[in-house]
Amino acid sequence: MKNRMLISMPFIAALLALALPAQAADKIRVVTTLTDLAEWTRAVGGDFVEVRSLCTGVEDTHGVPMRPSFLPLLHRADMVVLIGLECEHAFLPALLDVSKNAKIMKGAAGYVDCSVNIPPAEAPRTLDRAEGDVHPAGNPHYNLDPVLAKTAIRNLCAALVDYAPAHKAEFEKNRDTYLAKLDTKIAEWQQLARPLKGVKFISYHNHWPYFSSRYGLQYVGTIEVKAGIDATPRHITELIEMMKKENVKVVVREPQFPEKLPKEVAARTGAELIKLPIMVGGVPEAADYVAMMDYIILTCVNAAEKAHVAAQ
Amino acid sequence: MRNEKEKTVRIYPSVVCLMMAVASSLEATETAFDPQLVMKQLQELRDNQQRLQQTIADQQKTIDALQKLMTGTVAKSQPPAGQGTAPPALTGAGPNGTPETAAAAVADTVRLKELEKKVDELTESSKKTFPSQFNPAIGLVGETIFSYDSNGNNTTANNRPGGFDVYQRSVEMNLSASVDPFALGYAVINGSADAQTGTANMDVEEVALVTTSLPWGLTATGGRFFAEFGREAYIHDHELPTVNRPLVLDRYIGGETRTDGYQMNWLLPTEHYWSLTAGVGDGMGDKLANPGVYREAGGLTYWAHAATFFTLTPDLTLETGLSVMTTPSETDRGGSITDPNGVSTATEKERRVGGVDVTLSYQPLQNNQFAGITWRTEALRSSSRFQFDPNGVPNSGDETTRFEDSFGLYSLLTAKLSRAWNVGFEFDYLQNPENHRYVTFSYSPFITWYPSHFQQLRLQYTHSDRAGSSLHGDDAIYLQWVWIIGSHSHGFTER
Repeated sequence: MKNRMLISMPFIAALLALALPAQAADKIRVVTTLTDLAEWTRAVGGDFVEVRSLCTGVEDTHGVPMRPSFLPLLHRADMVVLIGLECEHAFLPALLDVSKNAKIMKGAAGYVDCSVNIPPAEAPRTLDRAEGDVHPAGNPHYNLDPVLAKTAIRNLCAALVDYAPAHKAEFEKNRDTYLAKLDTKIAEWQQLARPLKGVKFISYHNHWPYFSSRYGLQYVGTIEVKAGIDATPRHITELIEMMKKENVKVVVREPQFPEKLPKEVAARTGAELIKLPIMVGGVPEAADYVAMMDYIILTCVNAAEKAHVAAQ
Repeated sequence: MRNEKEKTVRIYPSVVCLMMAVASSLEATETAFDPQLVMKQLQELRDNQQRLQQTIADQQKTIDALQKLMTGTVAKSQPPAGQGTAPPALTGAGPNGTPETAAAAVADTVRLKELEKKVDELTESSKKTFPSQFNPAIGLVGETIFSYDSNGNNTTANNRPGGFDVYQRSVEMNLSASVDPFALGYAVINGSADAQTGTANMDVEEVALVTTSLPWGLTATGGRFFAEFGREAYIHDHELPTVNRPLVLDRYIGGETRTDGYQMNWLLPTEHYWSLTAGVGDGMGDKLANPGVYREAGGLTYWAHAATFFTLTPDLTLETGLSVMTTPSETDRGGSITDPNGVSTATEKERRVGGVDVTLSYQPLQNNQFAGITWRTEALRSSSRFQFDPNGVPNSGDETTRFEDSFGLYSLLTAKLSRAWNVGFEFDYLQNPENHRYVTFSYSPFITWYPSHFQQLRLQYTHSDRAGSSLHGDDAIYLQWVWIIGSHSHGFTER
């Protein structure tokens, strides 16, 4: 019996060694919820961070499956970086509850909410579930506005500096390099999106208030009755009537939602149906943030031109 | 100047009133709770609020009057266009240097000052704190069941009487909040209708403390809680994927794994998910074990659970676990049980239960809210030691010790058709833990509609066959309606 135990001990030790994380020394372990945040953290943190994202890019941000495999990541994390404004309410709080990591609990230094100083759109006047899956702090999809993304990146940088002040200079240099690149593209996107001024569109879920506000589109409705509430036949009928009356010729489907209803609505109104990602990796063309915004704006412009509703 | 004086005179009583109200509130927190006193203070606060609002309105009138006065004065004192010598920024004149734009600039300055004052006031008001701000999050869950069972419970041994039946299975109030930086506390208070009388009985289903900052991946839970055993046994009724808890969990564990005890969970420090749990408690299931009786250590219930998880493909996952439990007795809690033959009795002295659970889940990441298939099976083995009495007459000398091994399982398949609809089928197999020759099979197809995350309607049909005993099979239809109000978050157990 004793021999058997002695024989098995090295085997158990080897198994544990294989299972233990291969962690690069002294790196800040960051877990992000969305892929955009992962890209920004890598850009700012450089070689000083090891970043893992809970999302792969194709998920619905309000419905990421809570997988037990996320727990070891969160348990060992120095920081968790989130979009905030309750974007991750359906999965992150429950995961944090069982992550056994006080460093990343809400209120701790490792809990990095990137929505700080971002003026929320559509903050509800009343909090009532009669309004659907209402976000109490306002619409959380600000990552689709590159100007607001800059604020998130600054927040992220400040958190990294707080965590590792010795690398302040590197973090700020990386941040400025990334923001400069983004600024160049923001100016370019502003020009590129000029035909979108006044273009009316609907989408499946209410993802686009910040984007439409930035580029002057008119966001007139959603296929969902209210956030998280599936469409009813009556709602679709009313939506189609409104689209015809208002000459809405662009229908946006996010990849997380089924194509059937948007396709039907587009067909019945003669609108262009386009598929737009809501985070990096959402479609193959959105390999990084700049590519994603390029793709979103170009796809919108093409759709508006094809539907003859582009601004001259 | 006169206006300034007026303003001061108007503000002064309000500030005094506010200070008095705050002082009286502070006093109130130090004295015993008196509803009349609180109502009175509330009324005083309302009165103060009205006075403050009146003061603000008066101030606004004063400001408007001042603005008009200053606009007129500035306009008169400005030189004609083009004759100004000072730069526009200093005079407040616009690009054209017109008196109108200068006046507007002055008016803007006044407005800005007023705005700053209002912001300061708002900032100050947001600094107020109230004892109720630390109240826990509160949620309420209701669950109503309409059912029809083809046979009465005298022939099926079901909990409910049979025939047409409508009952409030549970009303559950959930409370939760952080206790301090080291722990959170929660409670689940449950009210349910008695099967015989229909009277609502209130019960503390859970009330426990869970640590949040133990080192080395440890979490301790203490109090009354659902012990981590198996996969579905520690999920509340309204969160189950079917109307009823699987038979094997009902009979071998006693329903939910409720216990009064302590539990320690360890998340292993590996990249792969491994979770180990062990605990000790006073019984497990719907009743405590032998309460009020002197016990040795063996008189408590002990359990352990190990779980792991594999991501087979991005969309396909496998979760599996092993559970063991030893409990001094299940039926001792209610005394001896009568065999379905109506004569012999058996008093359980000890039960050991071991189980394995497997969940294979296809959840396409891209549209997991609209599609997915999950297959889950839990198999349990129960080994019990009984004092068996063939003639049912206590102490008649014919009592013997009998060991009974039995086996049971459930297998569940659910498919998500859309965000609002899912369908499923559950198969149950149960050998009676008191006599393994008494066997029950049941087959339960069901369909669930979720109008939102906070409401569900489920229709389920269950056909049961019973063999080996005098019990009869039956057919039952259930319509379950569950709703949630208030605070509700999806816990990790409902993954």
